[in-house]
Amino acid sequence: MLTGSKSQERRHVLLQIVQWVLFALLIAVCFLLETAGSFLKPLLLIPLALCIASHCGEIQATAVGMIAGFLIDLGCGRFLGSNAVLLVIFCVAVSLLYRYYLRQKLLNIVLLTAVCAFAQGYLDYMFCYGIWGLADVGLLYRHVTLPVSLMTTASSVLLYFPVGLIARKCGNRRTYELEKMPEYRD
Amino acid sequence: MGDFFRSVKFRVILCILALLVGVMIYAVSMGGYTISTVGIFNTVAAPFQRASNAISTRVEHALQVYGDAEDTFEENRALRREVAELHTQLSGYEDTRQELEELQAFMGIKERHEDYTLSAPCEVIGFVTNDPYGAFMIDGGEEDGIHLYDPVVTELGLVGIVSELGAQTSTVTTILSPDLNIAACSSSAGDRGVLTGTVALSQEGLCKLQYLSRDTKMKKEQVILTTGENGLFPRGYVIGYVKDVQPDDSGMTAYAAVEPAADLSGMAKVVVITDFAGKGRLTEKEAQTDADGQ
Repeated sequence: MLTGSKSQERRHVLLQIVQWVLFALLIAVCFLLETAGSFLKPLLLIPLALCIASHCGEIQATAVGMIAGFLIDLGCGRFLGSNAVLLVIFCVAVSLLYRYYLRQKLLNIVLLTAVCAFAQGYLDYMFCYGIWGLADVGLLYRHVTLPVSLMTTASSVLLYFPVGLIARKCGNRRTYELEKMPEYRD
Repeated sequence: MGDFFRSVKFRVILCILALLVGVMIYAVSMGGYTISTVGIFNTVAAPFQRASNAISTRVEHALQVYGDAEDTFEENRALRREVAELHTQLSGYEDTRQELEELQAFMGIKERHEDYTLSAPCEVIGFVTNDPYGAFMIDGGEEDGIHLYDPVVTELGLVGIVSELGAQTSTVTTILSPDLNIAACSSSAGDRGVLTGTVALSQEGLCKLQYLSRDTKMKKEQVILTTGENGLFPRGYVIGYVKDVQPDDSGMTAYAAVEPAADLSGMAKVVVITDFAGKGRLTEKEAQTDADGQ
């Protein structure tokens, strides 16, 4: 009985390692796709980080958000940490929402990605371009930021399935917790 | 969920956030120099980025060939018409020859400037993601003798400056960016102005030569050169060609839309001018002025 539980535990650890290696590979592929070519591209690391965060705990979500954010900073030539801070906040929020309120549905992740992508896009636009008050700066929002945010939101559909598959196959099932009821006393 | 905000986990996450904000402030204070850990990461990622960029560039080029088929057909027709017109205007070949000589002279600029110290050709390893001004990364850095704010060129013309420097990689800001101001003049008319990028013109791949006199004699297709006055760029290097001349919004001055001579969107290799006669002249002058002031 003890041997069985030990082997089960070992299998669980092995599956966890496989899962995180696959997630790391996905992150690397998304980073390479993001930095290739001079055309407009979706920020694939945003939906990927959110998808992963929806399948893991808050600390893991923090780590994923931090790494994905750093990679976006490097790829987009932004100050190191600016997108990392934002993605850590969003990833932890997504992890908590999935723990307490949301279920694994495509629509949920698409909506959450939309919120994150548009918030990131707007903040990036404001701090990098809008703040300087250049002439016709609104063009950049319409021609660059908005299409990128839309593409990022749409790309969550593509990333939801592989991430879900990896999480399911590697046996990472989320436990749902009910909030404690407040105690009423007469 | 209330328990989460009272848990150790939440405090750990807050500490990580504080650390990230610290990293961000440190990165801001570096003033263009890459943080060493990022430099190591860039060195590791560079071969992968180069490979993925090469693939995507080929795919992009292949798609562009099919996408531009109609434009090419129209362009071909227009060119044929132009050739026919040129045949009829053969009597005016003397003017054409003169123009050609001028162009040949500009092509020989590089050979004539012996004072340039050039870096080894640097490969474009990737473009800054979704940058509206086409900034890109090259595989040359501090170890290759490149300095921050060195001019980056191709044989066709000026491309931009090194805006972020790492040990083995650098980021180049192109002349389409509003962050760059370059003292420039026309090749023949002698009009001088400041060349900079604007949001609107950068969408069309053009930059703006502003503060020209209202009665400027600048014409279409005229060559725009660097004046080398600020010590950042060498004197007499080709920037681009005048596409259009318009009065400014105020009506007090005029501006020219300039098409960069170098193909900023499809570059594969560039060269960095690490030294040239007159480099950093303004900085010395400024230092002198400051010293005199004190």
